[in-house]
Amino acid sequence: MKPFRFTATINGRPVDLPVNPHRRLLDVIRDDLGLTGTKEGCGEGECGACTVLLNGRPVNACLVLAPEAAGCEITTIEGVAPEGGLHPIQEAFLEAGAVQCGYCTPGMILAAKALLDKDLSPTDQAIKTAVSGNLCRCTGYIKIIEAVRLAAAKLSGEGDAV
Amino acid sequence: MNRRGSGCLKDGPGVIGRNCRRVDGIAKVKGSAFFAADRKIDGMLLARVLRSRVPHAVLNKIDARSALEVPGVVAVYTASDIPGENRVGIIVKDEPVLVDDRIRRVGDALALVVAESEEALAAALPAIKVWYEELPGIFSPAQAMAGGAPAIHGQGNIQSVTRIVKGDADSALKEARVVISRRYTTQMVEHAYLEPEAGLAAVEDGQVTIWASTQNPHYDRREVARVLGIGQNRVRVVQAPTGGGFGGKLDISVQCLLGLAAWKSGRPVRMVYSREESMEFSPKRHPCVIDYTSACDGDGRLLAVKVKIVGDTGAYASYGPATLKRAAVHASGPYQVPNVFIEAYCVYTNNPTAGAMRGFGVPQVAFAHESQMDLLAGALGLDPFTIRLRNCFQPGSATATGQRLIQSVGIGQTIEQARAGAVQLGVLGGKR
Amino acid sequence: MKKRGIGVGCMFYGIGNTGMPNPAGAFLDLTDDGTVLVLTGCADIGQGSSTVLAQIAAGELGVNIEDVLVVAGDTGVSPDAGATSASRQTYISGNAVLLAARQAKEVLLEEAAGIMAAAASDLCLRDGHVWRAGEKTPLTVKEVLAACRKKGKLTLGSGWFNPETTGMDETGRGAPYATYSYATQVAEIEVDTETGKVSVLRLVAAHDVGRAINPKSVEGQIEGGCLMGIGYALLEEVKLTEGRIGNPRYAEYLLPMSLDVPEIHAIIVEEPEITGPFGAKGVGEPALIPTAAAIANAVADALGVRFYDLPITPEKILAALSAKGDGSARMGEIT
Ligand code: FES
Ligand code: FES
Repeated sequence: MKPFRFTATINGRPVDLPVNPHRRLLDVIRDDLGLTGTKEGCGEGECGACTVLLNGRPVNACLVLAPEAAGCEITTIEGVAPEGGLHPIQEAFLEAGAVQCGYCTPGMILAAKALLDKDLSPTDQAIKTAVSGNLCRCTGYIKIIEAVRLAAAKLSGEGDAV
Repeated sequence: MNRRGSGCLKDGPGVIGRNCRRVDGIAKVKGSAFFAADRKIDGMLLARVLRSRVPHAVLNKIDARSALEVPGVVAVYTASDIPGENRVGIIVKDEPVLVDDRIRRVGDALALVVAESEEALAAALPAIKVWYEELPGIFSPAQAMAGGAPAIHGQGNIQSVTRIVKGDADSALKEARVVISRRYTTQMVEHAYLEPEAGLAAVEDGQVTIWASTQNPHYDRREVARVLGIGQNRVRVVQAPTGGGFGGKLDISVQCLLGLAAWKSGRPVRMVYSREESMEFSPKRHPCVIDYTSACDGDGRLLAVKVKIVGDTGAYASYGPATLKRAAVHASGPYQVPNVFIEAYCVYTNNPTAGAMRGFGVPQVAFAHESQMDLLAGALGLDPFTIRLRNCFQPGSATATGQRLIQSVGIGQTIEQARAGAVQLGVLGGKR
Repeated sequence: MKKRGIGVGCMFYGIGNTGMPNPAGAFLDLTDDGTVLVLTGCADIGQGSSTVLAQIAAGELGVNIEDVLVVAGDTGVSPDAGATSASRQTYISGNAVLLAARQAKEVLLEEAAGIMAAAASDLCLRDGHVWRAGEKTPLTVKEVLAACRKKGKLTLGSGWFNPETTGMDETGRGAPYATYSYATQVAEIEVDTETGKVSVLRLVAAHDVGRAINPKSVEGQIEGGCLMGIGYALLEEVKLTEGRIGNPRYAEYLLPMSLDVPEIHAIIVEEPEITGPFGAKGVGEPALIPTAAAIANAVADALGVRFYDLPITPEKILAALSAKGDGSARMGEIT
C-alpha cells in the first residue's frame, strides 16, 4: 500500500512524515518517531500500556490506525513533563510509590491526566474507572489510586496559587 | 571469612526504614526507561520462532528452503546450527533451545527465523515445512504416573520426589480427637507481567552482548555460553529494565536464541514476544492436587499431618523440582506438628511447562493447610484465631524438617496484629 | 442476597533457595568525593531491590541515598547475585552490599582513627562526618578520603553472602533456610448468591519482614501480592485442552483490575532477624501466599459451603448453592 503523509501535532510539535496507512498509531509513535515511552503490552486494546491522548482523550494507540490520528493533537508520556522537571502527576506517582516495574506507568499517567484535566476533585470510584482500562500486575492499584488523588490535590493547590 | 551479615540494628539512621523514592523512578515516570523492546541498533535484524502446534511428536525433518526465498529473510536456524550444547534448564538441563529429536509440548521451538522486517518474518514462518510423527500425549500427572505410561524424558515421568518424615503420623492419627481428610486442587496460573519477553543481541570483538528482560542475568550468561560453546567471559548479559517477572522470567526465553542469531549472522538481532506468545510459552504456576489429612487433640493442638502433593510440571522441569520441594517443606504451615508425613511429586506431562511463580508452591499448600485449620476449628467450636495461636511456631519450635527456629519468629505477632487490625476496622466485631 | 464472610490465612516462607547454597556478591567503590558506586548482579524487576540496596549502602556509609548509584544486573561489571526469586534479594544481596560497604568503610575508619588518634572501633560515619562515641566531629568523610588518596589508598569493597543452610536428608531432615518470613491475612468478602460473584471488601495483611528497609516499598509488595492473591482465589485460570492453552490473551484470561480493588490494610511487623541486613528478611512472595487461603475461608464462612478447588468462580458457587438447596452439598463434616 502507498504511504500517505501523516501530519499531526505530537507533544506540541508538528510532525509530517510518510506513513503506510495500515500502520498503527503505536508503531508510528514508537518506531517512526522513536518515542518509546509508549509501551505495547498486548496489541489488542486490553492492557492500556499504549495509552496516549488524542485531542485530550485517552486512546489505546495499538487500536488506532495512523490515518485516524492524522490532524490530531497527540500527547505521549514524553510530552507530559515540562522542560527539565516533572508534571505534578509524575511527582505524585513517585511520592506515593505508585511505580514498581514501570511498564504500565506511562499509560497510567496519561489516563490519570485525561481525568484530571477535566476533574480536579475526583472520587475514588472516578479514579478507579479512569484507569480501569489500564492493567497493572505489580502494585495492586492501591498506590496508583493514591497517586492520582495526591496529584489532584497538588494540581488544585497550584490552581489556587495562580 | 566475611560470611555473616550484620544485625546492627542501631545503624543506618535516617536512611534505613525511610520511604526513599525509587532510584529508577524518574526514568519510569518520564517514559525514558529503555526496556528491551525499546532498544534499536543500526542494521538490526528481527527474529521470530516457529513453534510446534502439537504436544508430543518425533521430529523428523525441517525444510526451510522456501522460507529462505522470502525477500528480507536472512537466515533460518535449526538445532543443527547450535555450536554448543542444545539443552538448558536451571535445575535439570532437559529443554532444547531448538528441538532436535522430540517435541514435548505445544510451543516447543523448532526453528528461528531472522529477517530484515516483521513482514518478512510473517511471510517466512508459514513457509517452513516440518515433518513429524505424532505420539500420544500425556495430559495429567495421574496419566503420567500410571504404570506403562510412555516416558516423556528418558528417566521416566516422575521428575522428583520429596519426602519429609517426622515422628509417626499414622499412629498419631489413631490417638487424635479430630481427623479431617480432604483433597484440594489448584489451577494453572499465568504470571501476566505487563511487559512481554524481549531482548536484543549484538556481537562485537568476539563478545556477544544481550540486553534482555530477565530475573537472572548471570544464569542467562551461563546458558548462552554453553549453547554457543564459548567462555562466559565472552558473553555479557545486561538486564534491561524489566516489566515484571513474578518468577516467569527466571527461565530462558529469548536469550539463547538471540545469542545464536547474533553469533551466526554477525548482525544485531532483536526479538519481542507478542502477548499471546508470552502467555502460551512462558512457564506457569504448578497446578497441584493435594491430599491432606490433619489431626488434632480436643484442645485443637495439631498431632499429625499427612500430605501428598502432586504437581504437574509439564514438558520440562524448569523450577518444578524446587517448587515441589518447597511445597513439601511448607506443607504443614507455620505450625508445630509433632508427627508429619509429607510427599511431593513433580511430574512431567505434555502440558505447558510450569516453573517458578511467586510463592513457589506455597500458595497451593497454604490454601490446603489453612482450609484444614478452619475445618479443625469448626469441628471443635474454636475460633479460627485461637486454633492458629495455639499451634503457631514460637522461638524454640521445630519445623517439619526438624529445624529449630531461634529468633525472628513473628507468626504469633502477625496473627495478633492482623486480628487487632481487623477489630479496629470493624471487620471483626461482636461477631466472634 | 448478599452474604458476608470473614476468613483468616497464615503462612511462613523460607527466604532463599531450599537447602542449597545460593550466594550473592557485590562490589562497592567509595569515590573521591564521597559518593558511592554499588555493582550488583541483583535484577530489579520492579520490586525495588536497587532502591533497597542503595539504602543499605547509604545506611552503612552514613551518606544520603542520592549519593549512591546502583549498577545492577550487568554481567559485564557486576558479580553474580543469583536469581531475583525466593524473596531472597533483600536478605542475601542486602548482606553482600552491606559487607562490601563495610570493607570500604574499614579503610576509611582506619585512616580517620590515625588522624584523630582514636580507636577505629569508636568511630562511625553519619551525615558525611566522622562521629566519635556518638558525637559528631568536624572531620568530614571527604577529608578522610583525601587523606587516604594522598597515601595511595583506595576505598573499595567486595562482599558476598551465602545464607547458612543445610541440605535435607532422605527423610527431609535439615535446615533448608537461614530465616523465615511470616504473615497473617484476614479477608472480608461478600457473596452475591444470585450471581455467585465474590467481592473482596477488605483485606488486613500483617507481615513480619524482619525490618522494613523501605516501608512504602514493603506496602507496595503487600498490596500487589494481595491483588494477585485475589486473582488466584477467584478469577485466574489457564485453560488447557490436550496441552494447548485456550485463553492466551488478556481478553480471555481474567485478571484483577482497578475496579476489583478492595481496601487493603498492610501492617508491617518487625521481628528483627539478627543475620539480616539491618534486621531485614523478605516480603515479595509472602505478600500473596495467604490471600487465597483467607478468601476461601471467608467464602466458607459466608455460605456454610467450603470449596476445595481453586479458583472459586461464580459458576462453582452457584452450582454448590443449588446442591446445598437440595441437600447434597458437602459441608465441613468431621470424618
Ligand atoms: S498494547 Fe494497546 S492496549 Fe495493550
Ligand atoms: S508497575 Fe508493573 S505493571 Fe504496573
